[in-house]
Amino acid sequence: MRNPYEVLGVAATASAAEIQSAYRKLAKKLHPDLNPGDKAAEEKFKEVAGAYDLLSDAEKRKRFDSGEIDASGAERPQHNFYRDYASSDQGHPYADTSGFADFMDTDDAFAELLRRGQRARANRRGQDMHYRLPIDFVESITGANKRLTLPDGSTLDVKIPPGLVDGQTLRLKGKGAPGAGKGGAGDALIEVEVLPDRRFTRDGDDISLEVPISLTEAVLGGRIRVATPTGDVTVTVPKGANTGTTLRLKGKGAPRRGGGHGDELVKLKVVLPKSDPELDAFVMNWSKGKEFNPREDRI
Amino acid sequence: MNKKEFLKSSDLRVQTLELWLEQQWLIPEQTSKGIRFTDIDIARARLIHELKNDFGANDEGVDVILHLMDQLHELRRALAQLREDIKGRSF
Repeated sequence: MRNPYEVLGVAATASAAEIQSAYRKLAKKLHPDLNPGDKAAEEKFKEVAGAYDLLSDAEKRKRFDSGEIDASGAERPQHNFYRDYASSDQGHPYADTSGFADFMDTDDAFAELLRRGQRARANRRGQDMHYRLPIDFVESITGANKRLTLPDGSTLDVKIPPGLVDGQTLRLKGKGAPGAGKGGAGDALIEVEVLPDRRFTRDGDDISLEVPISLTEAVLGGRIRVATPTGDVTVTVPKGANTGTTLRLKGKGAPRRGGGHGDELVKLKVVLPKSDPELDAFVMNWSKGKEFNPREDRI
Repeated sequence: MNKKEFLKSSDLRVQTLELWLEQQWLIPEQTSKGIRFTDIDIARARLIHELKNDFGANDEGVDVILHLMDQLHELRRALAQLREDIKGRSF
């Protein structure tokens, strides 16, 4: 950074009043809000403002003069100027069209253009509001009606469509911030988070779950109750079922986009009873003379 | 943001803010839940502060400056719009 006295164009012996007057003269020429069209002036203004911050503070100036601090770090922190907002296309309450009211009374294309801009701003649409809503896994498959409590205490009723996936965003038309004039309210955008389920996992339109079965059910087959998102159903376990055997329940999965449903995949898992001497004796007896190595294709 | 948050981020005292609101130097949005300030209000408050403290403008001066500046910005916007609309046309 340049020497602050040079930046302001004053002598090192300048009085506080001289410094202030020099700063004002420069700032009027360079301040971005008073010169909205001059982009290059901004950098110069920052330098000038930084120099003024240093020299207008008697204590800081003294320390600078005695060499205790240098001019670095004197720059003002970065911030947006008013012009950055005022010149945007978005409407704002400070817009003042009285500077060309006389032009607007006429009937030509220029007047029409000005009027159009004014109307657009008078009828500004409200802002979209973003919310987050956690739901249960089962609700994501079957659909649900949820009530969202907003930060200001009001509530919003949200209809969860069946088959919704984690991270999907629902748009509620007109439930956002109110607009101006005929602009209409913005929308509420609700990002839905599907909470993980203890039993079910989802893979596309299919869902799967693991169901433990007893040794008897595995060997001899049988009928068991299995949970689905729409309630329990009875399922036949085939004779000789094994851990990893997968049963497919048609149409019990998530709704498909084009109609119909995915499937529920039931993965069976054989669970042996706790240590049972009778079973030990039976298996010992049963396995005599039989050769069955489930790992024979491994090595 | 609400009034309390605005006072904090703009570093204004509550009496100053009341005065500026009364003068309509600041026009925050009116919503059903009370007044709501946005970033443009913060930037405008900073500018008013600079006009008064760094440039030595008095209240009447600030009034005139803001009025002219608002017109200037609107003219610039209209001009930019016009440029956009006549792009590519020859005269």
